[in-house]
Amino acid sequence: MDALLLAIENLRTYFYSRAKRAFIRSVDGVSLDVARGETLGIVGESGSGKSVTALSAAGLVTAGPGVIGGRIELASNGARRNLLDGLEKYARVTERDGRVMAVEKDERGWRKHSETLMTGVRGKEIAMIFQNPRSALNPYSTIGKQLVETIRLHTNFKGEREAKERAIHWLDRVRIDSPALRFDNFPFGMSGGMCQRAMIAMALSAEPSLLIADEPTTGLDATIQSRIVDLLAELKAETGITTLLISHDISVIQRLSDRIAVMYGGTVVETGRAAEVLAPQAPARHPYTAALLASIPSAETIRRKSYLQAIEGEVLDTIDVPRGCRFYGRCNRVTEAIRDNCAGLEPPLGEVAPGHKVRCWLYPAAGKA
Amino acid sequence: MRRYVQAPGPIGEYSGLSLRQRAGPLDLVYVAYGLLVVAVVVASYLFGAFGWLPHDPQAMNVGLINAAPFTSGHLLGTDFLGRDLQARLILGIQAYFLPGLLAITISVAGGSILGVLAGYKGGWFDTIITYFDNLLDSFPRLVLILLVIAAFKPDIYYVMVVVGITGMPVVANLIAGKIAFLRQKSFIEAAHALGLPAHTVILKHILWLNCRALLVIQATLGMAEAILVETSLSYLGFGVQEPTPSWGNMVQAGANYFLQGNFWPSTAPALAILATILGFQLLGDGLNNLLEGKRRK
Repeated sequence: MDALLLAIENLRTYFYSRAKRAFIRSVDGVSLDVARGETLGIVGESGSGKSVTALSAAGLVTAGPGVIGGRIELASNGARRNLLDGLEKYARVTERDGRVMAVEKDERGWRKHSETLMTGVRGKEIAMIFQNPRSALNPYSTIGKQLVETIRLHTNFKGEREAKERAIHWLDRVRIDSPALRFDNFPFGMSGGMCQRAMIAMALSAEPSLLIADEPTTGLDATIQSRIVDLLAELKAETGITTLLISHDISVIQRLSDRIAVMYGGTVVETGRAAEVLAPQAPARHPYTAALLASIPSAETIRRKSYLQAIEGEVLDTIDVPRGCRFYGRCNRVTEAIRDNCAGLEPPLGEVAPGHKVRCWLYPAAGKA
Repeated sequence: MRRYVQAPGPIGEYSGLSLRQRAGPLDLVYVAYGLLVVAVVVASYLFGAFGWLPHDPQAMNVGLINAAPFTSGHLLGTDFLGRDLQARLILGIQAYFLPGLLAITISVAGGSILGVLAGYKGGWFDTIITYFDNLLDSFPRLVLILLVIAAFKPDIYYVMVVVGITGMPVVANLIAGKIAFLRQKSFIEAAHALGLPAHTVILKHILWLNCRALLVIQATLGMAEAILVETSLSYLGFGVQEPTPSWGNMVQAGANYFLQGNFWPSTAPALAILATILGFQLLGDGLNNLLEGKRRK
C-alpha cells in the first residue's frame, strides 16, 4: 500500500485583478505530502494561500484563471491518480524569467474535464468541512434529510430506512445528544457547534480517505472551538482518517497535527514534524514561524497587561511578489552577509534536519539544496 | 403575574414560531381572503367548464333586459339582451383562467431558468438578462401586446405568452438576487464539496428548498397581472369577442346603458374584477410577509 495518500506538487493557483491588470498569485508553487493516517496542519496568516490550496485539491476553485499548473496526486484503490491529469492542455501559460505573464484558458473545457476527474472523488474520497457551519447547511432542510442525501449518494445504504439509521448512527458518533430527535432539526434550531458536528457527520458519513478541514473552528465560540477540536481528535483516534487541517490558530494546529506546513505569500516556508516546528528552542526556524509563535499571547503577557506582539508590516500582497524572499520586507533577522541573497533570490526549501525543511537563506542547507 | 409553562413534547425540540407569531395583524386576513377568492375562482372555472350553470348564458329574454339583482330567476340580474349575468360571470372566468396559468407558467419557469443562469453561472448571462430586463422595461407592456395582436391575431393565448415573457425578468431578478444572497452562506459550496451533482444542488437545494415560497408569491401576483391584462384587452375589444363572455367585454357592453341609470350590468363584472385581482394581490402580499418574512414597501 502506498504510504502517501495525497501529494501536491508545484501547485499554482492564480486569480486575476481586473483593476490592476495583474495576477494574484494566491498559491505559487506549493508542494505538500500527506501520508496515510496523518494530520497535516497548514498554518499561516489570512491571504497566505491555505484555503485556496485546499479548494484546489477539492477541485472547487471557480474564479479564473484558477489552477494553472502542478500535480495533485491522490492514492485511491491502490492506484495513484493525478486530479489535474490532462488539464494542462486547456491552459496555455506564457512565462518570462519564471514569472507568469499571460494565461489563456479554455474555462469550459477545463471545468468539464475537471468534473469528470472529480466525480467519485469529491465527497466520496475527499470530504471537506468549512468555517461558519451554520451557513454551510441548507437552512430550509433538516440536518437529517441533508445527511441522508449524502449517505445515499456515496454509500451502499441506498434505502430510505437504512440511510436514516445510518444518519442517526453518524449523528451519535459526532456526540450529538438524542440524535433521533435532532434528526428532524433545522440548522437554525441548533447551535453553531451542533451544526459543525452535523457537518462533520456529513463529511465522514461517506467514509472518505481524506478529510479537508478548512478553518473548522472559525466562527464558533471559544468554548465550542475546543469541543470541536476534542471531537476531531477523538474521531481521528477512532477512524484514523487522514486529515488536511487548515487554520490560522496555532493552538488548534498544535493539538491536532502530526506534521505542520507554514505558508506565507502563496508558498510553503517551513515544513516538518509538529513537535520540531513548534519546539520552544528549535535549532532552525523560519523567521516567519518565529514571528507567528511570538505573537501568541502567553499567560505572562496577559498577566502583565503588556501589548500583544504583532508581526511588523503587512501580509504580502500576492500581486506584487518580490524577486527575493517573500518575507524579506518584514523579516527582522536579515544579516549583512545574506542581504543580497534575501533581496534578490528566492530561497529554496532546504532540509535543516531529516524531514524538516526551511525556506530561508539563514540556513546553509538552503544554499546546498 | 406571568406564568412559564414547559411546552409539551420532547425537551429541547425546536418548535419554531407559529404562523400567528410571524404574521402581521392583517396578513392572515389577507391570505384568508386571497385563498377564498382562489377557491371561488377555481370552483367557478370548473362549473363553467362542465357547463353547470344556473342559466343558459346565451339565452336572451327580450322582455327582461337590464334587470336588477334578485329579480326572480336571475340572482344577479340580466344584461342588455336579457342574458343571465350570474351565468355569464361564471363563464367569464374561462376567458382568463387557462391563459393566465399559461402566462404564469412561462414567467415562473422562464424566470427561474434565467435567474439560475444569472445568479449561479453569472458572467455574461447576468449582463444579457440585465439588458433583456431594460429592453422590456422601455416598452409599455400594453403597446407590446397590441403589437403582437397586430402582427398575429387577437388570440388571448398569444397575449398571455407576451405577458409571460414580460413577467420573466422580475422573477429572474428575484431568483438571481436570492442566489447571490445564498452564495454568501457557503452551503452551496459545501453541497458541491460533499459531491452532490450540480443539478441536485440547483433544482433541489436552490430552487425547491430556498426559492419555492418566492415562486408561489410571484405566480400569485402574476395571475393578478394576467387577469388585469385580459379584462383590459377585452374591454378595448382586442380580447375575447362577444357573444363569448369575458368580464372585460361585459363591462364594455354594460357601459352603453350606464348613463341611462342601468349601472348594474357593467358594475357587476367590474366588482368581480376588483374583488378577484385584489384577492390575488393580497394573497401574494400576505404570503410574502408570512413566508419570506419581510414587508413589501
